[in-house]
Amino acid sequence: MQADAEYVMRVVEERGVQFLRLWFVDVIGSLKSLAVPASELEPALLEGVGLDGSAIEAGARGSERDVYAWPDPRSFQVLPWTQEGRVARMCCELRLPDGEPFAGDSRQALCRVLDQAADLGLTLQVGCEIEFFLFAEDGDPARPPVPLDNGSYFDLTVQDVVSDFGRRAIEHLEQMGIPVTASHHEVAPSQHEIHLKHTDPLSMADAITTFRIVVKEVARDLGLFATFMPKPIGGLSGSGMHLHLSLYEEETNLLYDGDPEDKRGRQFLAGLLAHAAETAAVSNQWVNSYKRLAAGMEAPSHVNWTRDGANALVRVPTGRPGRPESARVELRSPDAAANPYLLFALVLAAGLRGMERGYQLAPAIDAGSAGEALGVSLPGDLGEATALFDASELVRDTLGDRLCDWFVANKRAEWDAYRATVTDFDRDRYLRWL
Amino acid sequence: MADVWIYSEENLRASQMASQVAELGFTPRLVEANGSLRPDAGDGAAARPPDLAVVIGDEALCGRLRDDEVLADVPILLSVRAEDLNGAPLEAEELLVPPFTPAELEARIARARRRLGGSEEAQTVRAGSLVVDLITYQVTVGGEPIDFAFKEYELLRFLVTHPGRVFSREALLNRVWGYDYYGGARTVDVHVRRLRAKLGSEHAGRIRTVRGVGYRFDL
Repeated sequence: MQADAEYVMRVVEERGVQFLRLWFVDVIGSLKSLAVPASELEPALLEGVGLDGSAIEAGARGSERDVYAWPDPRSFQVLPWTQEGRVARMCCELRLPDGEPFAGDSRQALCRVLDQAADLGLTLQVGCEIEFFLFAEDGDPARPPVPLDNGSYFDLTVQDVVSDFGRRAIEHLEQMGIPVTASHHEVAPSQHEIHLKHTDPLSMADAITTFRIVVKEVARDLGLFATFMPKPIGGLSGSGMHLHLSLYEEETNLLYDGDPEDKRGRQFLAGLLAHAAETAAVSNQWVNSYKRLAAGMEAPSHVNWTRDGANALVRVPTGRPGRPESARVELRSPDAAANPYLLFALVLAAGLRGMERGYQLAPAIDAGSAGEALGVSLPGDLGEATALFDASELVRDTLGDRLCDWFVANKRAEWDAYRATVTDFDRDRYLRWL
Repeated sequence: MADVWIYSEENLRASQMASQVAELGFTPRLVEANGSLRPDAGDGAAARPPDLAVVIGDEALCGRLRDDEVLADVPILLSVRAEDLNGAPLEAEELLVPPFTPAELEARIARARRRLGGSEEAQTVRAGSLVVDLITYQVTVGGEPIDFAFKEYELLRFLVTHPGRVFSREALLNRVWGYDYYGGARTVDVHVRRLRAKLGSEHAGRIRTVRGVGYRFDL
């Protein structure tokens, strides 16, 4: 048994962990969990745990119905919010019985791109700013959400609830090895933002998956619910997930503009931009995601970059002179309801392709830019995004045809269901008028 | 399988030692006498320090190994002819005087590795209210257990068992991760940040950032 697996066995024993949750995600990033009692841990580490592949992807072939979840012992972490009957989690790889990767495994799709980058001597670092809303839980999902506005809420003031939430969420996240800083928005006490400090993309994707669970658990304990829905309320800012990216070759940050002869940082950025539209189905994967992008309010709508404007797709903060490690680019389109594994796989692959093919970076826009100067539009809705995704060479090269086809089938079904739905908009506007 | 690096200016003695060491179940690597302290291996074998260094004849080389920040803690077995013995060798953990039998070689290797492993044999390391149990992997602050992921624990264990010494990011990466990682040297920074957050304010400061160099753990 490997040292990391032995570590897990020993800690489970010493800490009295009773259950292990084996985590993995489906193609849209929804967390799935298998519970294994501590007594079954050793075989789980050595042989994986069998599950039905069709439960993960409806389109799994007959031969792929037998899928094994192989826990990654390095992702072992005791869940801090389970005091009684201690529970720990491990993130899993999904493999077929012969040990080959399961085509529908997003985590391995990301690992493949990370391996490609590592072969080129490159490592990506990602930091995230995640926004979400907290609402009062009134038990009726059909009613519109109740923002935590000023005024009484249970026996606590809004500020008490908000600060209690922030304190507990930060405590739990840091206990799980996810260092954070938090703030809540000035515009409404309901919207929050938490920064996950930068790390490698695989750790960050695991962290985001964990983060969504932690935030929802903490909110529930306080009689609230948290949502990462990109645009829960018309007229208020949506919730995004800005990515801060730095790209390193050994100790050199290639996004630091220190060497005018080295064009690779600019080519990486050009790659991010060139493939932003065709990867939008992953960065913004829901019907609702496009309502955030359509509304402005600092959400990007066009493919462009800026040093000082507010609404661009990519912002390149002015780096501090002589501090190459602070140089980064900020990708502003994604929302936190994305599948982070696929998102990071495509972001990195897009940047690498820009470098590989020597893409030219278009000039930056500034605060006064308008019209054509803004560049091409991001997709206007999920249907358009899915069509671009389906036809993308980069996407298919990166994720593989099987994963792409499952994703496309899932998103087409969502888009078709939406198109066939008569909404409040329709009734409010047309019912009496027409 | 434990790696053994063999240093010698005499190719014949080096390759004889390599085959003797291999028969005892170790993986030998010859280090060319070209000034480098690392074997010329393309398979990543040189990326992490060996479990033992066998130095043939060259006592001064032991000092160079001790001064190398990555190799400093590798136990050294010095093989030296009786006529070349020049007092007790200060840097080597164990001495081997030819001729010797395979059984003696095995015993000397075991002794060399055990001597340097002294800090590993201690069961617990204490720094104020922080207690790291090296046998059970349990870490407590004021008696309260703290849960670490594997690499976080490994980094903490390495730091607490080498207090007061500054390690560069690269050295920590080699010692704790080997070459199986995605994050480059920043992986170390990220894990230090996680350790500090989990250790809490009382102990976070024990992991000192030495600007421009790396990290140091203060007991």
